[in-house]
Amino acid sequence: MRFLIIVMLLCCYMQTALAGYDLEVVYPYNLDKKQHNVVQVGSTVPLYVNLTSYNLEREENAQVILTLPKGFTPLPDAHWRLNEQGQLVTSWTLAADYGRNFDLVYIKAEETASLGSQQLQLQVIGEKWQTSRNVDFIYAPGTEVKALPTKKKQRGKGDFNWYIQNVLLPVDSYGIRDDRSAAGVVYVRDTSLESFRNRMTGEGATSWSAVFNHPATYILLELRNPKKDVRVLRFKAELVDRFTGEKVPGLCTAGKVADDNAGEGWGEAAESTEETTALISLDGTTNQNVVLPLYIDYFKVLEGDYSMRVTVSGNGQEKVQEVPLTIAKKHSMGLMAVAFAFVCLLIVILACGRIKRCIYKIGAKGAISVALFAALAFGGITLPTTIMGDLLHAFLGPFSGLVTGILSGILQYLLIMALLTLYRTPGTLSLMYLVKFMLSCLMFGNFSPLGILSCCVYIVVLETALYCSGFYAQEKLKSQLLLWVALVMGIADAFITFVNLEQMMFFYRLYYADWYLALYMLINGVVYSSIGAWLGCRTGLKLRQVMGE
Amino acid sequence: MSVRQLWEGADSAPWIQQLDGRTKLLTLFLFAVLSITIDNPRSLFLLFTVSLILHGLAGTTIHKWRVLAVLLLLGLWGSMVSQALFYAQNPRTPLLLLISPEVSFFGPLTGGLYIYQEGILYGAIQGMRSVTMLSLGLLVCWSSDPRQLLQALMSWHLSPQVAFMLVTAIRFLPVLAAETGEVITALQLRSDSQQGRTAILRHLPYIIKPLLARCLRRSQTLALSVVSRGFFLANGKGRAMLWRGREKFFCYSLIMVITIVVSSKLVYLLSEQGLYFGALRQIYDWTKMYL
Repeated sequence: MRFLIIVMLLCCYMQTALAGYDLEVVYPYNLDKKQHNVVQVGSTVPLYVNLTSYNLEREENAQVILTLPKGFTPLPDAHWRLNEQGQLVTSWTLAADYGRNFDLVYIKAEETASLGSQQLQLQVIGEKWQTSRNVDFIYAPGTEVKALPTKKKQRGKGDFNWYIQNVLLPVDSYGIRDDRSAAGVVYVRDTSLESFRNRMTGEGATSWSAVFNHPATYILLELRNPKKDVRVLRFKAELVDRFTGEKVPGLCTAGKVADDNAGEGWGEAAESTEETTALISLDGTTNQNVVLPLYIDYFKVLEGDYSMRVTVSGNGQEKVQEVPLTIAKKHSMGLMAVAFAFVCLLIVILACGRIKRCIYKIGAKGAISVALFAALAFGGITLPTTIMGDLLHAFLGPFSGLVTGILSGILQYLLIMALLTLYRTPGTLSLMYLVKFMLSCLMFGNFSPLGILSCCVYIVVLETALYCSGFYAQEKLKSQLLLWVALVMGIADAFITFVNLEQMMFFYRLYYADWYLALYMLINGVVYSSIGAWLGCRTGLKLRQVMGE
Repeated sequence: MSVRQLWEGADSAPWIQQLDGRTKLLTLFLFAVLSITIDNPRSLFLLFTVSLILHGLAGTTIHKWRVLAVLLLLGLWGSMVSQALFYAQNPRTPLLLLISPEVSFFGPLTGGLYIYQEGILYGAIQGMRSVTMLSLGLLVCWSSDPRQLLQALMSWHLSPQVAFMLVTAIRFLPVLAAETGEVITALQLRSDSQQGRTAILRHLPYIIKPLLARCLRRSQTLALSVVSRGFFLANGKGRAMLWRGREKFFCYSLIMVITIVVSSKLVYLLSEQGLYFGALRQIYDWTKMYL
């Protein structure tokens, strides 16, 4: 027992006896850890101090005093202060047992300082101990950096330690510019189908943080550092309006977007940033290229022309440069709508034989009925909406569709369903649409790619909807079935409305807001068409009496 | 000038009346393709000007010019209004606030509705596509008899049965219009209220059933007539219409030009997506400048 106590006491004593301090001072400190001892005239280079303490019994305070040679001044720092002797002083708390304290002190070398060998001293004074280090270095004039001949020399920047020479984008992650892509144009992916795509590819729910944290492109920052400064700088890129110069949303910063599982609302992050930020380090070389990722806020960015304001700041200095930037969005949705329309066109071409067979099936009477119904649809829908539609469009703008939709929604589906109730054969609807379209071609000259494609979309989607709803399969047309069919027709028309509006936006380069598309789909698609289809079914059932005469 | 006179093509210049329906339809379609291919405002304006020049060459009467002007202006205005509201490019300068983002329900839903200055101009430029098509469509419509265009469709292997249906529809359009008038008159006379007896809008919901019933009865009669003469199932292969060599050459040349234009636009768009070929550099430049 005694032996044990003695051993423990010895250990305690040894801990006190073996308490030690390692002081490391590096000047000029380079971030790439290369050892050199030359400080260039006028440069700002950090001094690295690292104090490692070990085997301390308890927490201990230590005073750190830095004595600089004449002509060397420290940059303002909240943790360091100047004493009466002109020394830089700070106080560190050394942790018990093992502790590590370190800091960077930026020192500006004035041009008045004498050239040649210089020395600085760093002294650490503890409660019962003190240690110091002297660092020798050479203060020497450097070589001036020649500006590139094509670049305009920065005004009055001869005495700047560092500045932005050029901003280049888009580049790849290695900073290589692809000459095939247009300069200053950033293509932004269309995220409107992101969730759908992920579900289809089996990736599950979309991780929006992953989408947002993926850079849209990279930016190459060409920095000139004639004084060979070594320091950490803050980079900030923001979009500004070209005319007003006001900051506009569109950029964001990776990491500010919370992970989906973190449960943090990332709207908060978006409103607090609206800029891409990063930390960059000047490594003491005269020409330094920095490749930085540029993050886009896909929900807020608008396509168009901007100025991108690049701000690099550090230790009280700030350099700003603006470069023109064009954001181009990929319209995947429009492209998909057009692709779908072409598929529909192909289906209609392939189904021409079946449509022709339908004529034989419904006979001359049916074919003439289809023609007359199509004539009614043309005279009652196409004619007024073409003539009055423009007038309404002038007064109501895009909302005129909600008025003309009463005709193109309710009346059209009334006629279609009335006809289909009388001639319940696949192909009848296609025939009516084809005749109506051709009438429109012959009477109004509406012979355009969009007209053909939208007609094919109507035919394929509605025929499919009717087939899937069981309209052709059921023997008797019960009220429940008719109600169901009316609803299906409404939903199908909403889909057609969406496809046709997307096609229109794609072909005519028009813009419509998402809420407008939704409103149009709901009112013009689901509501009007369902009502029209239901009324059409009822009318068709009554018209059967006429057929039986 | 009556609506009927407006839609008749008798007063156009002879050269355009004599043009084959195929030439007209094909030109119309190709111009539509061209107008949706072009993005350059100057080229779009040039295309629109060409359509107006064609109207001038076709001898469009002053009455028709007025109608055309009204329709074109309305079309352009509509496009300008819609794009002024929904313009989604930067820069955009709000001229007028219609719905504030703070307004309950509609504000958050729309994110605020503004009239954007740049959108008005953008709408005018993009609207030139649709007005070019409208202008050319009306030119074809005003300078052609529907039969001429129908023959063109038939020469492109349109089924004789579908052609028959189309002819029936065209022939019965005026009849259906007259019947609608009769039904409205009957409904007005049967109206039990003295107030608003003449109001057409009141009777509109009741027009459709009698009108459809008449259509069905007429189709029965017509079908009997057509079937008894064996007309409906006839092959309908008449003599092939002659398409003049000059017109055919013009159409093929136009097809070639439009194909080149569309192809260069496509390769340019692909180059923007990274599919760039150095050999096509001049095509890219040309497309960027003019298309």
